[in-house]
Amino acid sequence: MSYVSIFFQYASQYLKTRLTYRADALVEIISDLLSQAVNLIFILVVFGHTSLLSGWSRDEMIFIYGFFLVPFALFGAFFNIWDFTDRYIVKGEMDRILTRPIHSLFQIILERMELESLFGAVTGIVIMIVSASQLHLTFHWYDLFVFLLLAFSGAMVYAGIFISLASIGFWSDSRTDIMPMMYNIGNYGRYPVNIYNKVIRWVLTWILPFAFVGVYPSAYFLGKEEWYTYTYLTPVIGIVFFFISLFLWNKGVTKYRGAGN
Amino acid sequence: MNYIIDVNGLRKEFKSHASRSGLKGAFRDLFTRNYSTKTAVNGISLQIKPGEMVGYIGENGAGKSTTIKMLTGILTPTSGTVSVNGMDPHRDREQFVRSIGVVFGQRSQLWWDIAVQESFRLLKKVYNVSDAFYETHMEDVISTLNIEPLLNQPVRKLSLGQRMRCELAAALIHNPPLLFLDEPTIGLDVLVKLKIREFLKKINEKYGTTILLTTHDLSDIEALCERVIMLDEGNIIYDGALQQLRENWGEGKQIQFVFSEEVSLQTLQQLTAGYLVVWEQGDNGASWTASIDDDEDIISGVIGKVVSSIKIIDLKMAETTTEEIIRNIYEEGAIRNG
Repeated sequence: MSYVSIFFQYASQYLKTRLTYRADALVEIISDLLSQAVNLIFILVVFGHTSLLSGWSRDEMIFIYGFFLVPFALFGAFFNIWDFTDRYIVKGEMDRILTRPIHSLFQIILERMELESLFGAVTGIVIMIVSASQLHLTFHWYDLFVFLLLAFSGAMVYAGIFISLASIGFWSDSRTDIMPMMYNIGNYGRYPVNIYNKVIRWVLTWILPFAFVGVYPSAYFLGKEEWYTYTYLTPVIGIVFFFISLFLWNKGVTKYRGAGN
Repeated sequence: MNYIIDVNGLRKEFKSHASRSGLKGAFRDLFTRNYSTKTAVNGISLQIKPGEMVGYIGENGAGKSTTIKMLTGILTPTSGTVSVNGMDPHRDREQFVRSIGVVFGQRSQLWWDIAVQESFRLLKKVYNVSDAFYETHMEDVISTLNIEPLLNQPVRKLSLGQRMRCELAAALIHNPPLLFLDEPTIGLDVLVKLKIREFLKKINEKYGTTILLTTHDLSDIEALCERVIMLDEGNIIYDGALQQLRENWGEGKQIQFVFSEEVSLQTLQQLTAGYLVVWEQGDNGASWTASIDDDEDIISGVIGKVVSSIKIIDLKMAETTTEEIIRNIYEEGAIRNG
């Protein structure tokens, strides 16, 4: 369990540094809150024109969005690897990582963590509680554990996709815009997939399974039984995609070419 | 014999594609690419015993860094076997790197924003060093490197020399038996260089640390290493004692004369007719350099003949420097008697 204690050492160091730049952290949290508010307003505006969207009500949509924020916050806090190729491959920082006795991906997670992103999870939970009370949802005691399991699985889906993309950098270090594009596609996951066309739905389920971050797990809490199969698949997809990405990463490390001096 | 580094037939090739020129070329690149294979390290073998300090030299692009990166587990070899501290660096990477220390002169091991001490503490955790060992060992390292006053400053506020000393300390936190140094003195002033050399000598004596050092500054090697390995275009062209390199190559002596008046080449050649001397003119007609064999009879003979008939203002004797020797070797491309 030395990884756990290393994690806490890094986290406390991180907080120490962050506390000396308090203003920065505050600005970041506020800008996160603003973008979340804009997304909410967007949902509200859409439902100003209609009361049902492919069978989903406004409050259900908001609940899904709230749920989506939790895995997304976990992902944002620990998998800041969108600039991996630039930072670690092109600039050769990977050399340093590889001379330390910890798994390389874990080190990058430690170095790049942004714990203030976790604040997004708080926002998400507040949004879920508010919309759940509007919808008069009832919960069982074990739903808390289901929630944790599904949220972690969602974060693993996200992490899996982005780690796989980052691994491409080991083979080719040319600049691509694939990362920002993927962030945009990821945003589709926070709306119910049946509002999209069939092809997009299929892609969001099996190829880039962002639907498992928002709508499929939320369906469980909203009592939408026709989606339960997908809900149960969420942990499976999370584990499968995460392990595929780990495999790609480990394979990629052996292909690392280093940066010239 | 147990070797701490045992490398056989080590090879590293990089595949790269050459881009064609122009827009048309770019389109063609999309479909068929011209791959070319560049061999950075061409099947080298070397053995290093525990406790040795070895200088690894070569021009830019000779394959030094690539070799070091394969020995430290950063790069996977294309072929050949590597055994360092009895392990395969790339395959057992996480276990292996616990047994080595690495300093890359152009890359920092320390965290930019936090105090040096905090960096040390993180590394201590990463290497899982016990408190008791850390206290005694690091106290020694810190006081020898004289970095106590720097411990509370963030790395970004340190000068290059100060940072380098902290880097060295950081590489030694887990007291590794083997230390890789890639250009450790690059850009440092003479005083800091001396301090660092002294420190390296000391840990070599005290802990028996084996040190493999690449550098462009040959005075580092002269000060530290008994043995040099010289690399050119991915091949080892010399592996042996520095002393021997000098004896084989630095065979000549040079005597620089400054005469009180201009002298012609003919006069000088006539004067020293009995000896094998190559005369070369210096800045003006009054200054000449005589290149001769390193032999006391010849030296005193030539000087005697010259000064007895021409008045001199100044006289200097110079031995070929290691730097010149190395330059000569690279110009000829191979080693005699090597």
